[in-house]
Amino acid sequence: MRRRQLMALVRKDLRLELRTRETIVAMVLFAIVMLVILQFGFGTRDDDLTRFVGGLMWVTLAFTAVLGVGRSYVAEREQHVLDGLLASPVPRTVMLGAKAIAIFLYMTAVEVVVIPLVGVFFVKGSYWDAIGWIAIAALLANACIALSGTLFSGLALFTRARDLILPVLFLPALVPVVVAGAGATHAVVGGSPDMSEWRGYCLFLLAYAILFALVSIATYDAVFDD
Amino acid sequence: MSGGAQYVVAAYAVIWFLVLAYVVMLGARTARVGRQVEAMMRMLDRRDAERSDSETAEDRT
Amino acid sequence: MTDGPARVPGQRAAAIWGVLATVLVVVSSIGVFLVAPEDADQGIIQRIFYFHVAIAIASLVAFAVACVAGILQLRTRDERWDDVGEASIRIGLLFSVLVVITGSIWAKASWGTWWVWTDPRLVTYLIVVLIYAAYFVLRSSVEDDRRMRYSAIYAIAGFASVPLSFYSVRVAESFVHPVVFTSSGANMPGSMLWWFVVSQAAMICLFVALLELDLLGRRSERALRRLAMRLESA
Repeated sequence: MRRRQLMALVRKDLRLELRTRETIVAMVLFAIVMLVILQFGFGTRDDDLTRFVGGLMWVTLAFTAVLGVGRSYVAEREQHVLDGLLASPVPRTVMLGAKAIAIFLYMTAVEVVVIPLVGVFFVKGSYWDAIGWIAIAALLANACIALSGTLFSGLALFTRARDLILPVLFLPALVPVVVAGAGATHAVVGGSPDMSEWRGYCLFLLAYAILFALVSIATYDAVFDD
Repeated sequence: MSGGAQYVVAAYAVIWFLVLAYVVMLGARTARVGRQVEAMMRMLDRRDAERSDSETAEDRT
Repeated sequence: MTDGPARVPGQRAAAIWGVLATVLVVVSSIGVFLVAPEDADQGIIQRIFYFHVAIAIASLVAFAVACVAGILQLRTRDERWDDVGEASIRIGLLFSVLVVITGSIWAKASWGTWWVWTDPRLVTYLIVVLIYAAYFVLRSSVEDDRRMRYSAIYAIAGFASVPLSFYSVRVAESFVHPVVFTSSGANMPGSMLWWFVVSQAAMICLFVALLELDLLGRRSERALRRLAMRLESA
């Protein structure tokens, strides 16, 4: 029963997205612009930015996440779907799960473009043999972003200046994800991969995801309680 | 090695000053509220007194 | 409306904690400056340590109290827990700012620069300040019942991100740079440890005293509003 509700909600989000394509296209475009801006912001026309590659990648992904998470409830809000959803007997945790899955998929779609592009743009050394390890860390980070992002965007939804509140709430909570994501990336990129370091960061991301899953499940009922 | 004493003093001065400022801020608010409560109590007392005065006056007539 | 507005409950507690905190802060300040022995390595600069670390721990206590208050607020929907939560976070934020400032001074004194990204305590407390400053941004943009609920949820989520920030900075640190001060509590000489304990007690009492004072003010304000309403309706 719950699984059917969950799948129905995820399908609704994805179908809406596939029909309009407004969120994912905007996110990917935003991410590419970010990469270009960061490159020029460093002020060097150095072809090899391997030393900064984790930072470039995860700063871009963090800001893109804020953008995507901020969009995640907009359709519900603008088209009064939320009222119907809240009145229906769907448990709040199912709503939480559906939103988190949608954000997870959006972020994955962005990373499919961003992670190879970072390699093309910034790394001249070895990158491609490490891309699998980066992808695993990125998937874990997506779980973190999806879970904390769902909670914070739910909080920001009915506030004044919602678009301003969300980054202020969400980005400080994303700092550990950026630290761990960039750390994991640096651990495997550029010649000598340090797998124990990579594993440490991945375990940290897993712990983050679990902790925020618990917090979200415990508090999500109260987010939509009116 | 007594170099750096000014840094220690500065660190503690910042702590004392900011905590004191916070206490003063809280105290000012409490004092203001207390004054207003007292003023209102006096008003209420006066009103009650007027009311009982008028009631006794009505009883007499 | 059973309680009379003339005397607000909690006055006595606030007074007792206030006196206790004042005495302990004075005693520990004297102890730190005049009695505690000079550190062999760092000299006088090490004296920043006592209040710096004590305040850091006290701020974590404040955030923990706010988290518990948030849980109780969501359970009971009692606005008093909202008061406790906001007051605690405000004090915790003040304390975290003090940790960052004194840490920065310490960095200047011992390493010659005002800011060191490799000192995990300085960096994590900067993140903590950002996390809890956002709490007040959130509060100011919602009202009434929603404000209480959102604040409670954010107090809980914020407290979950505090250990994550601590740990993430330390994980990143341990791969790059050895951590400088984390174990200094364990291998201090006895009298240093004793003054640290006194400083810690002083800071915890200071937190409780500030909290009681803040809550007292809020109760008074609430009593005042009730009184105003009664006066108008009479």
